[in-house]
Amino acid sequence: MDVTIIGAWVATGLTLFIFSFLYKDNPLFKLAENLYVGVSVGYTIVKTYDTVIVYLIWKPIVENQEWTLLIPVAIGLLMLTRYVPKAAWLSRYAFAFIVGVGAGLAIPRTVSSFILKQIEDTVRPLLVLVPGDGVTFSWNLMNPASSVNVIIVLIGVSSVLFYFFFSVEHSGPGKAVARMGVLFLMIAFGAAFGYTVMARMSLLIGRLTDLIEYSDPAYGRPTLWLALVTIGTLIALSRRSRSEPPDSH
Amino acid sequence: MSFAERMLNIDRRIIFVVIGLCTLLPLLYPVGLPIKISQEVRGVYDHIESLPEHSVVLLSLDFDPASKPELYPQAVAILRHAFKKNLRVIAMTLWVSGTGMADELLTKVATESGKQRGADYVFLGWSPGGTAVIINMGQDLYNAFPSDYGGKPTKGQPVLEGVNSLKDVTYAVSLSAGNPGVEAWYVFGKDKYKFELGGGCTGVIAPGLYPLLRSGQLNGLIGGLRGAAEYESLIGEKGRAVAGMDAQSATHVAIIVLVALCNIFYFSLRRQARQQGSQS
Repeated sequence: MDVTIIGAWVATGLTLFIFSFLYKDNPLFKLAENLYVGVSVGYTIVKTYDTVIVYLIWKPIVENQEWTLLIPVAIGLLMLTRYVPKAAWLSRYAFAFIVGVGAGLAIPRTVSSFILKQIEDTVRPLLVLVPGDGVTFSWNLMNPASSVNVIIVLIGVSSVLFYFFFSVEHSGPGKAVARMGVLFLMIAFGAAFGYTVMARMSLLIGRLTDLIEYSDPAYGRPTLWLALVTIGTLIALSRRSRSEPPDSH
Repeated sequence: MSFAERMLNIDRRIIFVVIGLCTLLPLLYPVGLPIKISQEVRGVYDHIESLPEHSVVLLSLDFDPASKPELYPQAVAILRHAFKKNLRVIAMTLWVSGTGMADELLTKVATESGKQRGADYVFLGWSPGGTAVIINMGQDLYNAFPSDYGGKPTKGQPVLEGVNSLKDVTYAVSLSAGNPGVEAWYVFGKDKYKFELGGGCTGVIAPGLYPLLRSGQLNGLIGGLRGAAEYESLIGEKGRAVAGMDAQSATHVAIIVLVALCNIFYFSLRRQARQQGSQS
């Protein structure tokens, strides 16, 4: 049998089993869920072993005599001493190396990218000198770089920062600024939630598109047959749970 | 129990059926609603369009099958565009669980476009280290990836001629579902090695990337399935993303209606309770 057809049956079955949770928790869902976790972990282990151990360590050392690779291997192996209580202190050297290198690499780059660049973007000039037109103030809300948007961003950043500034009581004019901050936060949360809804619906569209594609006779109509199996199993499970006496525990 | 109370306590499975139908029916019977192209998606398209033939484009497929419905169509559209423009494509992933899918995707689009592995494109696969891989590539690409996904040595492949590090990459696009992804490519790649960077992402992380777009740290951003549909429209090859847009619009309308109805029922119940309180 063609591998594509087997893949279509497996994908359809697992999709329907996962969707069956929308009715209620059941063994089909548990089967698909556990398979997902198992396959993901298994795949990651195999790929990591193949790439790291075989291609990045074993082959370069054995075939190309790159002995310097033994240094990172030794540092990496120190991590495993965590499992031997008497030698566990050795793992601190490995962690110290990772933390030191990680912090050294990340801190300057993150400060430059996310703090300095963003501050630079927040405090843009309000008026722009356009050759021929002189100094202009742009009112175009659709242009992120327009003067009016610069003001909105500046007000938003300042008011939200003030809202999280707890050393001063939020009363009088401060209360109005803090409320403005809350308003900006709510708009941001709303936008994030809207995008999240869009993303989740996209996932549903993706699965349903596949189910429609796999209802084709070329694949043996797995969507139709497996939907019947799933619905039948749910009905049988529902009837069995009704006929069983309630749990006495 | 009043009508509003019954509606607020409705079985959630009815709502699942409504959303399911709103998704399924437009997929079966598409209407073809118009798709407006946003500036952020056009940014990526225009930049690729402006590149001369044989320029080097790095495509980092930083996602796994869990984000396939959103990012796979984006990757297909960008690859088709790059191959149509005869650009050299270097593909890779920072997500180990997405390696097989990325290879399958690249092979499929390259075959369609009549491109050859090693000559027109290369898939470097995955290398451990996350952000450290980007830094390593910035210093020496062949040190980070001594061999490609198929185990063939990267040095000497025609597609990588003249490419020694990230400094030799003309344009990079990261399609990401989280971290490491677009942000890591900016922080450890573009900011340090000064190449142009575009991004593609799932809808969930898109709002967090907009500040990078406004400040010019990214020159374009393709957000979610909607962004993929816009890109498909721009290259004139409508695929799965465009097909899903009717369903996306229908479900959004359904959700807006449900939210509005819930609020109406909630406020009517609150009003009833207040009236009863004032009478007693």
